[in-house]
Amino acid sequence: MASLNRRAFLKSSAATATLVVAVSHAPHLIAQNAPSTAHVSPCLKLNSDGQITLCVPIPDMGQGMETTAAQMIADELHVELNEVSVELMPFLGSTNEGRAVFGRFYQGGGGSGSTMRIYHELRRTAAYARTVLLEAAARNWQVPRTGLVAASGHVNDPGSGRAIAYTDLIEAAQSVGDEIKSNTIDPKPVSAQTVIGKNAKNVHGKSIVMGEPIFGIDAEIPGMVHAVIRRCPHLNGDIVRFDDREAREVPGVIDITTLDRIPEDKSAYRSVANGVAVIAESYWAARKAANLLEIEWDGSISVEDDTEGLRSKCLAALNDGEFRTSIEGGDIDAAFKEADQIVEATYFHPHWAHTCIEPHSCIANVQGDEAEIWVGHQFMDSAINGVTNAVGISPSKVKSNFYRMGTGFGRKFEEDYVMEAALLSKAIGRAVKVTWSREDEMEQDYVNSLGAYRLRASADSDGNVTAWHIKAAADTVPAIITREYPARLIENYKGEFHQVPNGVSRGAWRGPHHNVAGWVIQSFLDEIAAATGKDRLQSLLDIYSKKEILKSANWPYRDTFFERYRAVLQKAADEAGFGKTMPNGWGQGIAVHHTFVSVCTHVVDVEMLGEKDYRAHRVTSAIDCGLPVNPLGVRAQVESGIMDGLCAAKYGKWVLEKGLVTTNNFDTYQKMRINEAPADVDIHILDFGETEPRGTGEVSLPPVIPALTNAIFAASGKRIRNLPISENL
Amino acid sequence: MAVSFSINGTQRTFDGDEEMPLLWHLREEAGLKGTKFGCGIGQCGACTVHLDGEAVRSCSVPMGTVSGASITTIEGLADGDSLHPVQEAWLEEDVPQCGYCQAGQIMATAAFLKETPNPSDEDINNGITNLCRCGTYYRIRKAIKRAAENMAAT
Repeated sequence: MASLNRRAFLKSSAATATLVVAVSHAPHLIAQNAPSTAHVSPCLKLNSDGQITLCVPIPDMGQGMETTAAQMIADELHVELNEVSVELMPFLGSTNEGRAVFGRFYQGGGGSGSTMRIYHELRRTAAYARTVLLEAAARNWQVPRTGLVAASGHVNDPGSGRAIAYTDLIEAAQSVGDEIKSNTIDPKPVSAQTVIGKNAKNVHGKSIVMGEPIFGIDAEIPGMVHAVIRRCPHLNGDIVRFDDREAREVPGVIDITTLDRIPEDKSAYRSVANGVAVIAESYWAARKAANLLEIEWDGSISVEDDTEGLRSKCLAALNDGEFRTSIEGGDIDAAFKEADQIVEATYFHPHWAHTCIEPHSCIANVQGDEAEIWVGHQFMDSAINGVTNAVGISPSKVKSNFYRMGTGFGRKFEEDYVMEAALLSKAIGRAVKVTWSREDEMEQDYVNSLGAYRLRASADSDGNVTAWHIKAAADTVPAIITREYPARLIENYKGEFHQVPNGVSRGAWRGPHHNVAGWVIQSFLDEIAAATGKDRLQSLLDIYSKKEILKSANWPYRDTFFERYRAVLQKAADEAGFGKTMPNGWGQGIAVHHTFVSVCTHVVDVEMLGEKDYRAHRVTSAIDCGLPVNPLGVRAQVESGIMDGLCAAKYGKWVLEKGLVTTNNFDTYQKMRINEAPADVDIHILDFGETEPRGTGEVSLPPVIPALTNAIFAASGKRIRNLPISENL
Repeated sequence: MAVSFSINGTQRTFDGDEEMPLLWHLREEAGLKGTKFGCGIGQCGACTVHLDGEAVRSCSVPMGTVSGASITTIEGLADGDSLHPVQEAWLEEDVPQCGYCQAGQIMATAAFLKETPNPSDEDINNGITNLCRCGTYYRIRKAIKRAAENMAAT
């Protein structure tokens, strides 16, 4: 891209002219002297042959971010989404401090907060673009701008009936761009929005159903070679020796080389696994040769990392471990002494793998002190920093190309697959595409945590909870669950946590910490209600009536409005007919959880299929996610969280046997298919008159697991305190 | 020995490694990247294509076995500019989230509806086994039924 010294500029070529309405780091960048192109990027491209392209800042992994962002631009620009193209902006952040960091636009998918993080800037930018186009038309026609109206990609003059397409204003807009001050233009109020708040289908739907090559794994560049890596199958270990003679005989093999673990210290968190890499002319040749490698591994230092062993350690720690206190209030000992009833239970969950449907891949081309990558990655800054971390090239010298992801779930936040490609490209001096197998993806996962929890609560004669004590022992630091509500709602409260030593690579898994915290807390609340005979819904409403507003004790530390908790509970309960008489072997469960930014309730209707199986037939949901930019997309994310949660609860179990992963493909790690998916999903998006969006992507998952297990209890009398359900019914 | 077959109506020959799965021939040699790699062991269905009209998982079909076969991939499903009714139904129900598995889901459904033009829920449960990690199953079920209705109406 040419250096930009104006907000709107003309780029000419022989065939077409393109107006690129650029957004700048500065609030009103006008006639600035050649700002770094890293800070400038379009939100709108107009082409003189009539093509309009909206440019969005955050990559899509299925959460619908590109559609949602396109709606924000389309709303301000008065264009129809089905008449425009949508493409991803390049990285816009800064690399000045030796690290890639986000600039004006957040360019990552995580924390269910991407929508709210770009909401103001993107609309403001688009509003500026619209104003430039209106002014250009006004000058063309020599009428005041205020009398003109933007609609359907045109500027209209209602007075005269004239209309001109945006794409015919390219030259005229060029001359007015400098004079419009972006900080004088406000985006539309909610009442005037016509695209935001309305259902929008996936803007890439047609590309997807036609099988167009839009994913990271589809990328290829001229001259690239392929790499398949046999990584250490032990959580941590060493190569003792390897024999590559047979592998080298495979036609198409170019080279075979080793990769060292990063960092070298095996007690430190793994960034890149050690392994043996086959470089070949095709993926298949590399794969075939890699399978022929004879490698002797030493995994002796990982033998303590064992699913059963870690489970025992967590359970033992609950009895005699040293715990740190997170939140303590009132006097739990006194409350337990006075209690009419005491309820106690121990919960356990194993690790869950991400199983991203698209195996990770990355192309890197490292040449001298410059590099370029082609990759599907959740966070643009992390992907670029991965190159720097691997081969020491300054992020200012890393060119990056980002693609759609076949899911991410937090796993495509990691840098390892980018680092591997950069390391191998540097080693052989050519562009290299590293493609992972399913086995790689599961063996080298950064899994959800494994943990055990002991909860003890007291209740008065009316079933009101008078004290709550939770101890959490896990392979990660399990402080978050101990700070979740009902902490600070119940006066007599103690939360304690303990981390057991381990060498497991853990990472972000859709709704980190919340995904299990919701289950443990909401299931235990259901246990208390069952033990005291109190109405289950009422007992939840009572807990969340103890305060009106609290600042969350967990990231991102937002205010929690308990009116919303009560509203989503009541709405889902009403719509589901919660509490109605069910046929024999059927039951309903209800649960609520607030994940990062938003709160969601589900009611699950379950039918037992004999003693050992069940079906969740119907899920009724209510969510408060602020202003829903795309209600259809919000529903998609709620549906997705429901399916993901039901699946993880039933089957999720990533198994380590003495440091070796034994669940490394879909034959050993079962996933839910359509036959087990609820055929009836009824979602209600609540409107509290908010004028800003919050988020949805992870929010629906945490409460669906307890809603399911509470339903199983109602249907069968069996309380699920150990996951996965398939092994514990 | 060279193997001859057709992909989306175009005749091709292959004389490479007969153990290579059809999936990698499609993706790396035929330039058809709509067929996706998911698991490599025929479990997830992301690589589903039609082989002589039947849905198969191309990661588990060695090139040595496709002699004389007529293969259709997602790129060949539409009739020129006119999308297949299953593709249309997928758009109408806004099924795709990430979209990675959907080519396989659509290919599986297109073959399934040929055998079972008016499927019950139970038929769908038994006939469609592809994995979707976004959990679009609820919309897939609706799209299968919509496609069946649209196909019956034409």
